[in-house]
Amino acid sequence: MIKNIHGKESWLVPILFVLLLIFPLVLTRFYIYLLALIFVSGLPAMSLNLVLGYGGIYQFHHAAFYGVGAYGAALTITKLGCSPWIGFLVGPLLAALLSLIMGAICVRLSKLYFGMLQISLGSLVWAIVYRWYSFTGGDDGIHGVLMPDLIASTTGSYYFTLLVTTACLVAMYVIVKSPFGSALQGIRDNPVRSEAVGVNVKLHQLVALVVAGFFAGVAGVLFVVVDNSVFPDMLFWTLSLEILIMCLLGGCLTFLGPMLGAAMMVALRTFASTFTEYWTLIQGIILMLVIIFLPEGVLGYVNAKFKQLGDATSGGKT
Amino acid sequence: MKNEMIIGMSAVLLGFLAASFSFGADTIKVGIIDTYTGPATAYTFDVLDGFKMAINKVNATGGVLGEKIEFVTRDEKFKPDIGLAMAKELVLKENVDLLMGTINSATALAVSDFAKKEKIPFFVTFSKSDKITGEQGHGYVFQITENTLMAGRAAAFALAKKPFVKYWIAGDDYEYGHAIADGLWTQLKKLKPAVQLLGQSWWKVGETDFTPYITAILAAKPDFIIVATGGSGMVNFQKAAKATGLAQKVPFYQHTAIELSTLEPQGLDAPEGVYGTANYLFYYPDTPENKAFVQEFRKTFNRYPKIGALYGYVTGMLIEKGFAKAGKVDKEKFINAMQGMVIDSPVGKLELRACDHQLMLPMFFGVTKKVPSHPFLIASDIVTIQAKDYMPLCEEIKALRK
Amino acid sequence: MEFLSSICPPEILCQILVGLSRATILFIVASGLTLILGVLRVPNIAHGSLYMIGAFIAFGVSKWFGGGTTGFWMAVVLAPFAVALISLVVERGIFARLYEREHLMLLLLTFSLALILGDLVKMVWGGEYRTVQLPGYFKGPIPVASLPIPIYNLFLVVVGPAVALGLWLLANKTKIGKISRAAAVDREMVGAVGINVSWVFATVFAIGCFLAGMGGALVSPIVNITLGMDHTLIMEAFLIVIIGGLGNVWGALLGALIFGLTQSLGILIWPQFGIVFPYAAVVTVLIFRPTGLLKSTW
Repeated sequence: MIKNIHGKESWLVPILFVLLLIFPLVLTRFYIYLLALIFVSGLPAMSLNLVLGYGGIYQFHHAAFYGVGAYGAALTITKLGCSPWIGFLVGPLLAALLSLIMGAICVRLSKLYFGMLQISLGSLVWAIVYRWYSFTGGDDGIHGVLMPDLIASTTGSYYFTLLVTTACLVAMYVIVKSPFGSALQGIRDNPVRSEAVGVNVKLHQLVALVVAGFFAGVAGVLFVVVDNSVFPDMLFWTLSLEILIMCLLGGCLTFLGPMLGAAMMVALRTFASTFTEYWTLIQGIILMLVIIFLPEGVLGYVNAKFKQLGDATSGGKT
Repeated sequence: MKNEMIIGMSAVLLGFLAASFSFGADTIKVGIIDTYTGPATAYTFDVLDGFKMAINKVNATGGVLGEKIEFVTRDEKFKPDIGLAMAKELVLKENVDLLMGTINSATALAVSDFAKKEKIPFFVTFSKSDKITGEQGHGYVFQITENTLMAGRAAAFALAKKPFVKYWIAGDDYEYGHAIADGLWTQLKKLKPAVQLLGQSWWKVGETDFTPYITAILAAKPDFIIVATGGSGMVNFQKAAKATGLAQKVPFYQHTAIELSTLEPQGLDAPEGVYGTANYLFYYPDTPENKAFVQEFRKTFNRYPKIGALYGYVTGMLIEKGFAKAGKVDKEKFINAMQGMVIDSPVGKLELRACDHQLMLPMFFGVTKKVPSHPFLIASDIVTIQAKDYMPLCEEIKALRK
Repeated sequence: MEFLSSICPPEILCQILVGLSRATILFIVASGLTLILGVLRVPNIAHGSLYMIGAFIAFGVSKWFGGGTTGFWMAVVLAPFAVALISLVVERGIFARLYEREHLMLLLLTFSLALILGDLVKMVWGGEYRTVQLPGYFKGPIPVASLPIPIYNLFLVVVGPAVALGLWLLANKTKIGKISRAAAVDREMVGAVGINVSWVFATVFAIGCFLAGMGGALVSPIVNITLGMDHTLIMEAFLIVIIGGLGNVWGALLGALIFGLTQSLGILIWPQFGIVFPYAAVVTVLIFRPTGLLKSTW
């Protein structure tokens, strides 16, 4: 069941956006960078949620599209010498293409098997990038990717990331609320019935996968904008698992949950690491606590609380 | 129950956000990014300890220019994107004066690029990519450790004098393995054109079972095998070599095969007759400086110093001398002072070459051997190869950086 | 052993034997994983961490008994039990309440456990490389058709089928085995006939983790015991389980054989790209038989 996002609290979102616009005026460079990083990490999680939360597809190797988007942009800029703006387009398009190919192969399967085949294929892509060091830099990655002056600085890259991410989120919201989105959720809840009422299940899923892959590719491009580097790790299945965790931590049944999850993971990692080298332990413990006590994710829990409050103030109407 | 837990967690998170380690007011701040998790840990703790030993000495006499040297560490867990983010945190939030680290070449390259932009000195303590001081080198990065090109060339220098002709190349299938093998083979072919390459075998990084590879190589009957493994692969390969008796059938070489990190964990079960190169051996040369260093390290940390300890220690010394010569805690003056800097290290006088900021370390080439004096194998028949004989020339570096 | 080389070239024979010894470790670990997946429906990502703990405990036990022959055998026997005990504690403490959750959540739960265990191992044993000594009679090679095969590898080749036999006996000839097989297919029914399903799950989980620990202990003398060995193995184990068929122990054996042999024979054909073969085999199997080669319990 999809909860109406925010409902009465929907005025929070524009306020948040305005705040994000003026933050660079008050925050130090580091926090500006951190926010940009959160957007870059959150966008793949949001795009994953398109197919996972709303589509019920076990997308286990989402990082493949994120990584391909990043590498597509970086290679276009460094190896082909094209303008970065062209690189920004090539990345997501390549990611969408890969998503189409992999989707076409995997979509015949369901649930866990879909996920495992996707991991195997995605790992193949990783192995190619890792091994082909004359072209991709191998495990050293590619560094110092040049950015247009407008967005090269910390603040510049922040605004670019904020604008692009917002645009993508708006697009995703529109898709989710559209008839296509409803059909997708219907397929998630009951594929047999959907097929029976004439919905082409496989086609819908394939389209969703391509769209999700495209947005993941955009996120990869944003990473290159913020950090000017790419690494083969970006295509590795452990990153896919992390993106999955961000989704579930924040709540994959809410729209903005994954972004919150990403914010939590990045903040946790950044600040816990200043205290201890055992920050994975802390991450693991917090994750376990959330899974056990907040199965709907943090935002899901918050939404439920708001709803309770709302019902209480409106006189107990359900 | 849920509510209390939420409040508790939020408090912890806010606590993290609010509190933040802050350095003392007038200190020289060094930010260290490295991998302190996973197989790399066997090397990186030594770097940290060697560094600690050096700066404790400096701080005991009041520091340099009246300021003590302080450091913080960040564990990147061998992930370059995390390492880069940590470097940015150290520079933008903690306002460190210098960056130091890491064992991950991808991180080192990314941080090096960042250091160039931010104009902050960065000392590379363990990454072996030759791109760091080669094609992606610049004025703000300094390499303390040897790189793959240097290691390969040093080995070629020594192997060219040996009678072996038919070679097989094998190793870990990643940049490090291929770079060492390429560096070695190109140089060997130059020095001794008669050598032949019969074939190559490459396995995934982290491979644990080498027996199928070894038997396949033996079937091809080479005179000598160049084994380009790194990290965990060093010990794993040597174990398989011992189990199959490889070194007695066909001799082989690995970079750092004779080094303590590889030999100590195996105790007396390590294979004998393995050729290797290393930049540091705690028992050679048997000079007073080396002895004093080893003694002090053992007293402080209760173990023998491995190669990382030398890198960390030398980094500490360089930082002290650099600021002392600069006369001011100023990054640009520090960079200028570092050009061609020479220090007295446990392995003799070392120069930080001006044209590429590469430390000119001697390389030791030897063969593993059991001795009654130690519970692990050591290197014998040691040949010292001077830095000038195996490092790429300044002209070559200039050409790469164009 | 010379007559064997007349039947087939020595290199191939060698590679087959070595591939089999490799398959043994993979099978032992994968069988535990597939048991837990089949009966409890839990994808246990922490399985790799338990394998690593098994290796470290083997190191500790071996050292405590002064290494050598006693040390080795005590390690190989005690480490799996220690791991099973640890897993039982975790299962009763955390998992037992959560079996009704979705698979995805359980997967993440075991993932967070893997994160925690990984750091705990570092806290207890530190970052140095460790190793376990072999008894004298296992050291060194035996010439098989003029190529050396380490004796210990041959020992592993024998252990593999022994474990498989043991598991088969356990599953088919013991009461707990039969109940577990029933629970894998229909846990509600099993509960309905009055059997305490919760304790069945605990037992199966303990056995699965026992196997992980055994894999780690058996591999400890021939491998560098280090942090991070959990990551390398877990991916391979999962792939084997998937191609073998979820919950199918014989499938795990088949998968392990395919994995081990394609790698060791692939090396002969194309040593430069040895990495590729097992993954290519997996992708091939999944494209043609996506639910695995043998029947799964799901």
